[in-house]
Order: sequence, then structure tokens, then C-alpha cells
Amino acid sequence: MTRVSDPGTHWEVTDPARLATIIRLRAVRMVAPQGFGYLGQALSSAEQVAALFSVMRPGRDRLVVSPGHYVIGIFAAAAELGILPEDQAAAYGQDGSPVEAIGTERSPVADYVCGSLGQGLSAAVGFALSDRLTHKDRRTFAMISDGELEEGQVWEAAMFAGHHRLSRLTVLLDANNSQVDGPVDTITTIEPIAAKWEAFGWTARDIDGHDVDAVIKALAEADDGNKPYVLINRTSTTHGLDCLPPDADGHFIKLPAELAARAEAELNARLEGHK
Amino acid sequence: MTDLNQPPYPVVLKPYGQSLVALAKERADIVCLTGDLTRQCEIDLFQDSYPERFIHAGMAEANMMGVAGALARDGFVPFVHTFGVFATRRPLDQIINAIAFPRLPVRILGFMPGVSSPGGPSHQAIDDVALMRAVPNMTVVDVADAIEVRQVASAIVDVDGPVYVRLKRGEIPLIFGDDHELRLDRADVLTRGDDVALFASGMMLAPALAAARLLERNGVSVSLVNVPVIKPLDAATVVSVAEAATVAVTAENHTVIGGLGSAVAEALAEAGLGRPLRRVGLRDTFAEGSRTGPYLFGTYGLSTQALVDAAWTALGRRDPVPVAEVAPAEEGEYSPV
Repeated sequence: MTRVSDPGTHWEVTDPARLATIIRLRAVRMVAPQGFGYLGQALSSAEQVAALFSVMRPGRDRLVVSPGHYVIGIFAAAAELGILPEDQAAAYGQDGSPVEAIGTERSPVADYVCGSLGQGLSAAVGFALSDRLTHKDRRTFAMISDGELEEGQVWEAAMFAGHHRLSRLTVLLDANNSQVDGPVDTITTIEPIAAKWEAFGWTARDIDGHDVDAVIKALAEADDGNKPYVLINRTSTTHGLDCLPPDADGHFIKLPAELAARAEAELNARLEGHK
Repeated sequence: MTDLNQPPYPVVLKPYGQSLVALAKERADIVCLTGDLTRQCEIDLFQDSYPERFIHAGMAEANMMGVAGALARDGFVPFVHTFGVFATRRPLDQIINAIAFPRLPVRILGFMPGVSSPGGPSHQAIDDVALMRAVPNMTVVDVADAIEVRQVASAIVDVDGPVYVRLKRGEIPLIFGDDHELRLDRADVLTRGDDVALFASGMMLAPALAAARLLERNGVSVSLVNVPVIKPLDAATVVSVAEAATVAVTAENHTVIGGLGSAVAEALAEAGLGRPLRRVGLRDTFAEGSRTGPYLFGTYGLSTQALVDAAWTALGRRDPVPVAEVAPAEEGEYSPV
């Protein structure tokens, strides 16, 4: 089993926009056998995942995925880039498979995956602190979600990271405004997100999370300052898949066979356009 | 067992959600809290009926428990809903200090018990009974079927102190007849036999019934006891039934450490009653690799066969163990593995 920071790990991204489309296509194929699943998370984070694999240094930097439901997008990218064997990607979420649909301690590819929400930033903070203590040239990237901001532990970790000026720590916050009970802003007001992180000692940027070039540019500049950096990616759980019904439940999208076929056709046509 | 249905069991949807709405009509002091799992906990029905008494706590379980404690101090009866894992592990300190120590009437409903969840170890409440049993003042309930689920809100609403209830999510089997009464003060002796005393709670009642029937057909008589309340345990019934049998077996959708099996063992030991005891449940392990609940129930030894095996070996039988067959279930039916 390979993780992104394992010595000798190698991958190369030549076309991030195309990789984002491939992530969507592979996620459709991973969810289709069951007819429902965490497709919305892959759709909202596809550009962030493509950007991450474009910026992370293989065999050196570390990746933490806090919302375990997002591992689908990581697995999709990793399979495409040759880090995750195809048979493991195909076993996603099946009985007896170590590649569980909600990520676990044993999930491949990322260095640390949490299944219970709100806990990943603390792990990323611990990794960044460890690297500082051992003088390693290594960045830590953490994917977190906007719904997780409701959990207190996120802010405990944010305050700690700000205090310790963990500048090698970069957070990708997927602001897709989706949680189980509906749009995040109808459940709890989490805005202004950037101002909250800045108040905790972070550098914060707020961008269109589906602009893959902008995400890559921001991730590259995030390592320059003397503070931890949070990139707030404004996204949608249905982005890049026009055939989904407008009322699709972003947390857990239903994908019956007929819709899966249309999704596959739409994404294949888009891939042709990337060529 | 004439008053019990036979597998495959018919199932009903949202019996808890409907019963809470009915209870709230009578009881203006009930408030309903959700930790971002409204439909999953069947309380979309409450939200529609009594929006002014419905509170979105969001994904913030520690805060939710603290708020519920204060609402209870002011005279409300908060029913707090999330998955069993998130109801017990993360906010344990808040439950202890803000709810249990002041002995407040907060009702905590934890859905997706044990390995009924396909969500991996982070979503499987395999230790919730143990955690809640260890908390002073807490009553711990694990109901078995839709008839009991329908009664549980009424049964717990006026309990002195906090209550933790674990509830299966989704399709709930109908095992008991309509006249079955959920009582918090006693365990139900469903059959009488002098070979095996079999104690089951929650989702394990269905395989325990199947195991008891198979054992009876093979000449082994079984006292089957449904134990909906793990704490305070009806120790008198547990001890008297075990005393009349040669061996005891417990069945729980939970780790064997700290739940029903432990509670029964403690009751027997404190009574000075020695009986060979087999605890069927998760063997001190996390449960991994699942798409479906039945896969996990089979893989991790929570099946009818596992119960029959346990009874057989406890009795010291050397002859071949009877082989359990699963009653095939169609859409809208439920069978244990």
C-alpha cells in the first residue's frame, strides 16, 4: 500500500483540468455499482484534488483527509496516477474490501484519513509540528470541509496552529455549503470563514474552488509566509456533472444505472474536449 | 413462542419518529435536538409537526449535550438524536458533567447500533453500551423490534435521570405481537428450558430466536430472555433463569466487553451462581470492510450459527453442531444472518 509521502512514490500530473474530469468520471464508476454514494464530495473537490497532486512533492509532502467521505476523489486520482492499483479502486466500498467508502485508519494513498468528522486538522497540526521538531523540509496539506467547522475541535486545532505559526501547514477547505441536513448556512452560520481563520493567526484566501489554475497558484504561494495558510474553495457538490437532477442530495447522491450511463457519456465527451 | 412472528419478519418504517410526534402532542415539554442527522434519525416527522420545538445543533455534539443539559434544567425534556457513535464517544465528558451528574432528564437516542452500519469503524457504535453503562445515573436501553421501538419514547419520557437508547436505523422488524409491552423494570422470559439460558438484547433478539428454535429442534431446551434494559439490569430474572439452566449464553450487537455479556456475568457472579458462560458479540475487535450490515454480522460472529455454536460448546457437546439456515428475506422483510 502506497501513501503520498512514502519514499520512492512517484506520479506526475500533466493536465490538472483533465485530471479533475477524470476524477469525476472515475468517481461515477466507483459509486455506480451500489447506485448511491459520496459522489458529491468528489464533484466539489475534484479541482482541489487535482491541484494537490500537482503541487505535492511525491515521497515528501504529507496529505491528511479529515472528512473520510472525501477519499473517493483521492482514490480516483491515485488510481489514474498509478499510485493505487486498479483492483483496489474497483473494490471501493465492497464487502470485505480494505478500501472502505468512508475512509478509515487503513485507507491507502493519503497519510492520514479520519472517518469521524472534525478530527483531521489536529492530525495535520501534529504532523507539521513533528516536521518542525525534526527539521524536515516537508509540507503538510489537509483537506477539511465547511460542515466540519461546526465541530469545536477544528477551532482548537486552528488556534494551536496559529499560535505556533505552523507555516508549512496548508489547509484546503471545501466550502460546498453541503451537510446531511441541508445547506450549511441553513443549519449554522459559519461565515465569515476567512475572517475567523485570520483572527486565529492564519493567512486566508477565498477563491473559486473549481478554477484549478487558481487553486494550484494559491497552494504554491501558501508555503511562502510565516503563518499557516487556509484556502477557502467555493464549490458545488454537483459541479461538472450537468445531468444530475437539480435536487440531488449533495452528501449522498443517488445514481441509478440509467443516470450513471448518462454521467459517463457526459464526462467522456468532456474528456474528448480536453485533448 | 406462539405470540411471536416468524422470520422473515415484516418490517415497518420510522416507528420511532412517528411515536415521538405522538408523544410530543401530549407533552409540550419535549424538545427535539438533531446533530445533522434529521432524516436518518426519523425526526424529520417531528420537524414537520413541531418546528418551534425542533433544534438544529449541527455537527457539534459536545455543544449539543451541554445545551440539552441546560434545557433540562429549565424544565424541558430534551430528546437528543444522532448516530450512536457520535452520541457517546465525542461528547462523553459533556454527558457526564452537564447531564448525568446533575441527573437531568435528557434522552439520548443513538442510531445505527453496533455493526448495523456500513460506514466503517468511525460510524459503528460497538462500545456505546459500555460507555453509557459506566456513567452513574444513566439508564441504558437496547430495544429489539418495531413494537418495542414504538413504545420506547413513552417508556423513557418520565424516567428519573438521563437515558441512552440505541435504535436500529431504517427498516425495523416486527417480531413481537401487538400486545407486547415494553417494560423498563424487567427482562422478558420468552421461552422456558433447562439446558441453555440465552440472554439477548436489541438486534440480536432475532438471531437468538432462530438459534433457540434450532436448538429445540435438536433436543436442547432453551430459556430465551429479551433484555431491553442493560442498566439497571433485571438481575433477579437473569439469575433465576440461569439457575434453572445448565449453561448461559449472551448475545449483543456490541463488544463483549462492558455490555450485556458483562452485565450478566456480574449478576451471576455477585449471586454466587456458577454457570459456564459464553458471550456472543464482537471479540474485542473493530469491524472492517463492509458494504452491508449482514456481511459484518456474519463475519464478526453475530449470526444465528455463532449462537448455536456457543450453546453447543458450552454444553460440552462433541457431536456435530446443528447448521443454521437463514430464512430468505424479500424486499420489505428482515431476517437475521
